[in-house]
Amino acid sequence: MSDVRLLDADERRVGHSPQDAAHDIARRLPGLIVAAKEVASSVMHGVHGRRRAGIGETFWQFRPFVAGEPATNVDWRRSARDDRLYVREREWEAAHTVWVWIDRSASMGFVSRLALQSKLDRALVIGLAAADVLMRGGERVGLLGSTRPLAARNIIERFAETMIAEERTSTFEAGELPPNAPLQARAQLLWISDFLSDPADIDDKIRRLSAMGARGHLAMIADPIEETFPFTGHTEFIDIDSPARLRVGRAEMFRDEYILRLEAHRDAVRAAAVRRGWTLLLHRTDRPASEALLALRMRLDAGSDPQLQKVLG
Amino acid sequence: MFGLPLAFTVPAVLVALAGLPVLYYLLRVTPPRPRHVPFPPLRLMLDLEPREQTPAFTPWWLLLLRLLIAAALIFAVAGPILNPLPAGGKDKGPLLLLLDDGWPAAPDWDRRINAAAQWISAARHGGETVAVVAASQGAREILVSDAGHALEHLRAIKPQPYAPDRMALVPAIEKFMKAWPQADVVWVADGTERGHARQFADRLAHLAPHVTLVTSDQATYALAGPKNEGGAFAVRVLRSGTKGPAQGIVRALDRKGLTLGEARFDFTGPQAVSTTETKSQFDLPVELRNEIARLEIVGRHSAGAVSLIDARWKRRRVGIISGETADRSLPLLAPTYYLTKALSPFADVRQPRPGTVDPIASLLADHVAVLILADVGAVTGPDHAKLKQFVQNGGLLLRFAGTRLAASSGDLVPVRLRRGGRVLGGALSWERPKKLAPFDQKSPFFGLKVPNEVTVRRQVLAEPDIGLAAKTWARLADGTPLVTANRMGEGMIVLFHVTADTTWSNLPLSGLFVDMLRRIVALSNATGKTAVQNAAAGQGSSQKVETVPPTRILDGFGQLGPPPATAKPAPVNFSGVGTSEHPPGFYGPPEQLLAINAMQANDKLNAADYSGLGFTVQPLRQVAPTDLRPPLLAAAFLLFCLDALLSMWLGGGLRRRFGHATTAAFLLTFAALGALAFAPMPARADPRPADQPLSQRDLNSALNTRLAYVVTGDAEVDQESKDGLTTLSRVLAQRTSLTPGTPVGVNPGRDELAFYPMLYWPIVAGLPQPSPETVAKVSTYMKNGGTIIFDTRDALTARQNGPPTPEAQWLRQLLNGVDVPQLEPVPADHVVTKTFYLLDRFVGRYADGQTWIEALPPANPADGVRPARSGDGVSPIIITSNDLAAGWASDRSGEPLFTLVPGGDRQHEMALRGGVNLVMYTLTGNYKADQVHVRDLLQRLGH
Repeated sequence: MSDVRLLDADERRVGHSPQDAAHDIARRLPGLIVAAKEVASSVMHGVHGRRRAGIGETFWQFRPFVAGEPATNVDWRRSARDDRLYVREREWEAAHTVWVWIDRSASMGFVSRLALQSKLDRALVIGLAAADVLMRGGERVGLLGSTRPLAARNIIERFAETMIAEERTSTFEAGELPPNAPLQARAQLLWISDFLSDPADIDDKIRRLSAMGARGHLAMIADPIEETFPFTGHTEFIDIDSPARLRVGRAEMFRDEYILRLEAHRDAVRAAAVRRGWTLLLHRTDRPASEALLALRMRLDAGSDPQLQKVLG
Repeated sequence: MFGLPLAFTVPAVLVALAGLPVLYYLLRVTPPRPRHVPFPPLRLMLDLEPREQTPAFTPWWLLLLRLLIAAALIFAVAGPILNPLPAGGKDKGPLLLLLDDGWPAAPDWDRRINAAAQWISAARHGGETVAVVAASQGAREILVSDAGHALEHLRAIKPQPYAPDRMALVPAIEKFMKAWPQADVVWVADGTERGHARQFADRLAHLAPHVTLVTSDQATYALAGPKNEGGAFAVRVLRSGTKGPAQGIVRALDRKGLTLGEARFDFTGPQAVSTTETKSQFDLPVELRNEIARLEIVGRHSAGAVSLIDARWKRRRVGIISGETADRSLPLLAPTYYLTKALSPFADVRQPRPGTVDPIASLLADHVAVLILADVGAVTGPDHAKLKQFVQNGGLLLRFAGTRLAASSGDLVPVRLRRGGRVLGGALSWERPKKLAPFDQKSPFFGLKVPNEVTVRRQVLAEPDIGLAAKTWARLADGTPLVTANRMGEGMIVLFHVTADTTWSNLPLSGLFVDMLRRIVALSNATGKTAVQNAAAGQGSSQKVETVPPTRILDGFGQLGPPPATAKPAPVNFSGVGTSEHPPGFYGPPEQLLAINAMQANDKLNAADYSGLGFTVQPLRQVAPTDLRPPLLAAAFLLFCLDALLSMWLGGGLRRRFGHATTAAFLLTFAALGALAFAPMPARADPRPADQPLSQRDLNSALNTRLAYVVTGDAEVDQESKDGLTTLSRVLAQRTSLTPGTPVGVNPGRDELAFYPMLYWPIVAGLPQPSPETVAKVSTYMKNGGTIIFDTRDALTARQNGPPTPEAQWLRQLLNGVDVPQLEPVPADHVVTKTFYLLDRFVGRYADGQTWIEALPPANPADGVRPARSGDGVSPIIITSNDLAAGWASDRSGEPLFTLVPGGDRQHEMALRGGVNLVMYTLTGNYKADQVHVRDLLQRLGH
């Protein structure tokens, strides 16, 4: 029988009391940060050029000097090899804004023996690593509802500190859905959650967030136990985000029904996402985080390419 | 109950067991506590209608456990008693407890008393009075008392050494039964027929309506009829039945209680007469057999399993009568002198007092087993009749020839004799004195060695009748008989055809004479006792029989003790079994003890037959009643605790609280505690191994020469030693014919050093000194030819004439207890400098240190100038300060591992050469000192 466990409140917080915050950073976040960095480094953003000349650092091409241009544009080193004058053109590189939102509600603190990490830890690792990868790719990344888009090298630490600072406030309450912050037209959202809320709520939220044309990617984190439902015998199930309980005599009788329900739920969420051109990525915590990150990166890259998005979506 | 000795005080409660199935059903439908599982996606199925709400069944083992608890409780309430007391009858009158207290009851006496005590306890519970009657109490009136007194009375009864006659009890029982006709009779019987068991049982069956017979089915063992036979001491071993061990041991003890010998008996073996009778034999020399005072069956403590042996079984009495009138003043010339001397080691020699009128009659009255007539002619008159009867009753008559016998022999001789005699080698004879021929196989003397110097000068001759050869036990070289014998009745007549003194032959002077007499006397085994009985029969009626008082009396368990007040003096010719008046034991003065035994020679030991009497037969039990309530309740409680734990475990409570490991540990602890509580402690295995055999390392060292270094305990130094010796071993293998094995580090205190020709010992100051035992071992190693190279490694710090370095001090302290020879710096002509390479010094990591070696004897000027000198052996000690191992050590490519001082490849090479020389020196000794002359020798040979 699989053992399941819920992280307690202390474990679940990214950081809790002011006194212990420092300890927490030392004890817990470095692990996640290192994990995030590791994952990020294995999925380097690579060339994120726009495949055309523009403002950028990377060499794109030499073109003949056109009269009237400022003479400072001439690349004298190239021109010296020839009779003509050349201008060095660089690739145009434009930064996007990517928002990240990580579900830190109680239901995320669920871990079973089959899983490598709790859902929350996995979500944090993926979210922070994605932020790092995006930042290295030249994008500006922000925590939705918490920070403005940043392009700092230490973005993982910045995000982590922000989350700790948030959790330190007494009024903090981890919601299941992202806040209704306005998203610009070209922005993308990376929404990492277990998406166990009502599909209607999720649909509503997606509708609001994408109102100005923003695109989004849902990363659904699931524990393997949530998919296999290996319970037998007399069992009392306890909900986490609500006080609901369900006592069943023979849990094994519910397995098939539950799996059908779960599929239906996921289909509903997927439908809500696809309707507005968003994507849904399913990730199980018994798989390595880099797998999810790689897939996410592809989707984020394809964010501005509807063709590719269609293929992936 | 169920074939078990189990009873219940409240059996009605057991009806509740019928409720167990109901309980089973109830338990089955009552589910265990549900497991609580946090489950985030619960929302998805909150509205699911449960299709089957019937909970999972309780696991079968939990069900079984709970049923067990319930059953244990029910049984406990029912008040189970293991081995319950016999139920006493109610209001029927007193309990009459008959207790056989003869010796057959002794081996399991405690069990009998316990059984009887349980009956008395049962009677006490029933409020009855009890009468306890021991079989030996006889016709005394039976007294009824309360249970407490009866118990005291019971405890006071001890088994008797004889088998009392139970018929004596009958009148008293008759009287008792008249007074209480409904009395319960319990007879704790010993199971043997001795003492009229069946007859008594018949009477008892008539007298009493309810008789319970408590008896053991185990056989009773006894010894009877000890016999000092010709070659061995034999005793009959009897048993009353076939239940019980068929093999055993009979032990023979002397009067001080020391064991003289042990003999096996086996009721199934070839010695067995029947399944209940066998024989046990002690093959002991006659002297030891004579010492036997007591035979007993090992492990059977009863008077019947003991046979007391007195003088009747011991040295045989030998009476000697001579025809000559003995001259007391010249004892060496007396014809009986040699006989007395030869017989006294193993027989009781009796001679008639001088002046006795009728010596033959007086000796026969002395119950002799062997009567020797030395040169007595024909016996006539009443003596002849007495002698004849003596022989016919089993006596042995041994006669020696002589002039009188030669003159008139009479009929008490084994063969017809010729008148006169035969003189061999006399003045008027052509014949030489004859020697003895070897003994025939049929002769009792067969096996005795015939000495060459025994000669016979004169003899009486037998008529050459038919059958003479069969009667002849010994003959001369010419075939004429020397010893003849003939059976007569139960006895035997043996004739020596020579005199008992040295006048006719020198046979009495030889050792053969003693051996022959010994064999003849040994033949007279049972005659003594028969003679005694015979004599007793002859004299008993007329004469007043002498009595002897009891000295040491057996108790019922077969232990000798002071005589009880009831024991009376016994007549000297007492020959029956022990009774209450004459209990078995020793009687009379210590030098002439009379033994009375519980069993007679021909007694049988039969099991009593109680069948067909209507008795209630109960086996003799060994165990006391046990109340099973406490253990049952404890078991139920423990099971309940286990159930609680398991329930918690099932509900996940334990896990949540303590986690897996703790839960498992807790359950394990609980199980272990349970096992401890119920299982007896297992015997502790003795983990001490046997003596260590030779270790594999020692074996390798013995098979392959290898260099060794002393492990100092300083890891750096040890590594250095190892590297150095490894390099040196490699160099030796490359350059010399020696291929040493891998160097090995040794601990001189622990390891055997004998395998290593050379020991490298780097000195590390500051480490503790080795123990005195280690120093002694090192000293022995050096004395036995080993060489130790002490390396103080202090050439850098040591100064000439300066204070000693710490290393040097350490070494001095170490060598304090060692016999160190005189040392000197290695002289230039020392053989160690020439054994392989020609060297002038031994360098290591340092080049300027001095190397010391055992001082050579001063050079002999007569030898002239010799390039090499050596002592007689190898120096046991070499002391250097150059840190040789560091100088030797190099890697595989030959680069030195340590910085050398002053340095250079040359120094490394020279260090290795020095090492090679040292090893060669320890292995070849002074060989090279002679080898240097080879050139000269060859030159001389050439010219």
